[in-house]
Amino acid sequence: MEIAYYPGCTLHASSQIYDIQTKLVLGEMGINLNELEDWNCCGATSASKTDDFLSVAMPARNLGIADNSGLSELVIPCSACYSRMLVAQHRLASNHRLKDEINAELTKKVKGNIRIMSILEVLVPKAESGELAEKTTKQLKGLEPACYYGCLQTRFPYDVPVPDDVENPQGMEIVLKALGANPIDWSYKTDCCGASATVNDIDTALLLMSKIFKDAVARGANCFVTTCPMCQLNLDAYQEQMKQKYDIDQDMPVYFITELIGVAMDKSPEELQIDRHFVDTIGLLKELNLI
Amino acid sequence: MALPVLDYEHENTQAFIHEVMSRSEQNITACYQCRRCAAGCPVGEETGYVTPDRLIRMILLGDREQALSNKLVWKCVSCYTCGTRCPNEIQTAKIIETLKHMSKEEHLDPLLPKVAAFHKSFCTAANHLGRLNEIEFMGLYEIKNAFHDLIHFKFREIFKETMLQAKLGLRMTKKKRMHFGIQKVKHLSDLKRLLKKAKKRAADGV
Repeated sequence: MEIAYYPGCTLHASSQIYDIQTKLVLGEMGINLNELEDWNCCGATSASKTDDFLSVAMPARNLGIADNSGLSELVIPCSACYSRMLVAQHRLASNHRLKDEINAELTKKVKGNIRIMSILEVLVPKAESGELAEKTTKQLKGLEPACYYGCLQTRFPYDVPVPDDVENPQGMEIVLKALGANPIDWSYKTDCCGASATVNDIDTALLLMSKIFKDAVARGANCFVTTCPMCQLNLDAYQEQMKQKYDIDQDMPVYFITELIGVAMDKSPEELQIDRHFVDTIGLLKELNLI
Repeated sequence: MALPVLDYEHENTQAFIHEVMSRSEQNITACYQCRRCAAGCPVGEETGYVTPDRLIRMILLGDREQALSNKLVWKCVSCYTCGTRCPNEIQTAKIIETLKHMSKEEHLDPLLPKVAAFHKSFCTAANHLGRLNEIEFMGLYEIKNAFHDLIHFKFREIFKETMLQAKLGLRMTKKKRMHFGIQKVKHLSDLKRLLKKAKKRAADGV
């Protein structure tokens, strides 16, 4: 099975591990990822805050490449890229003038035929059919993750089809339960981590992260799991600072979902490059005899 | 003496409401102030009295000055909770984006200069080589910040900010999360044309 793949800039830079793990884990399930040729930055949230036309035009070039790839599905693991591409596709389909204006400048024209999927839309059907469990050799016993979706996995500024419940999504829970983990039920799974505020408005970001963190700890989670590289980096890299400010003393590793699937598939920590985190991710897995 | 309770200029207000509505594609007159948006706003504690519903009220009352420059416009994290929960499907985050664009066009000083510098630097860096190089982006952002602090004589701020980001960079390098290579798009011509079009549209006020 072949699917088009858009990694986005982050997966080729600070969250390279997510790119490595995604290819490894999906490859194990017989999915061949075909990276879009010569893709460009999706513009993220910054483009929509700076220039509305650019916020559609930047993803449009990628959509044009995908529409002409001969493939019918495109997977985008990064939540921000996924959200921006989905929104751009929707806006181009509903605004022909805008579409013509952008297509006039594109070598590969947007047609609107590619189906955009988040990584969960690929994983959930495999988990539900039992295919995922067949590919794994280990049960993630003892792992009690707080599945953290953040903003961009389920909330969109336009009326796009949302593949999961907006306020209480279950995709990650379905996948992790299929692997033997016991995800906790909690209230902050779709709350904002502060996103770019960690860089430009740190106090706001720390406040938002402290609420997410406190609820996860109070509900007995022993780690976070996420699909968003921005949420992952924020909760991981700024955890120490947030804990000091809000007087919290528990550490919480922040895993990508692909990391835990990889562990269940008995991939080694070296292969998955699990050590490239700020908060220790190895200790908990060793304690639970998972690695 | 009776104090003027409400200063309402019909014509200017109408024009302002129309501009915000058409540019944001949001039907703000549908707002009946139920405040579900305010209850869900994650930055509500940080924005004083300005909640999404009150921002809409400001626009409807024609308070252009306040609407274009307030804490909510600059603290908004674009989480889209307000719009997702709105019973009338008003996406206040889209309205906020529009207000940001309008305040920029009117050359108003951003209330949080760092936020403005961040998004501008991101777009500049992303469109330079077609893909975002984090070092180039953060470098641009820090230069913009330092320049702003310099002209406001905030030398200590420059030192503090530089140390903070240098420390993060060092920690990221230690954890092999820092990427030192350059990533770029091979065929940049499409993007450059689109960028030119975006600039022309902005200049023409489209």
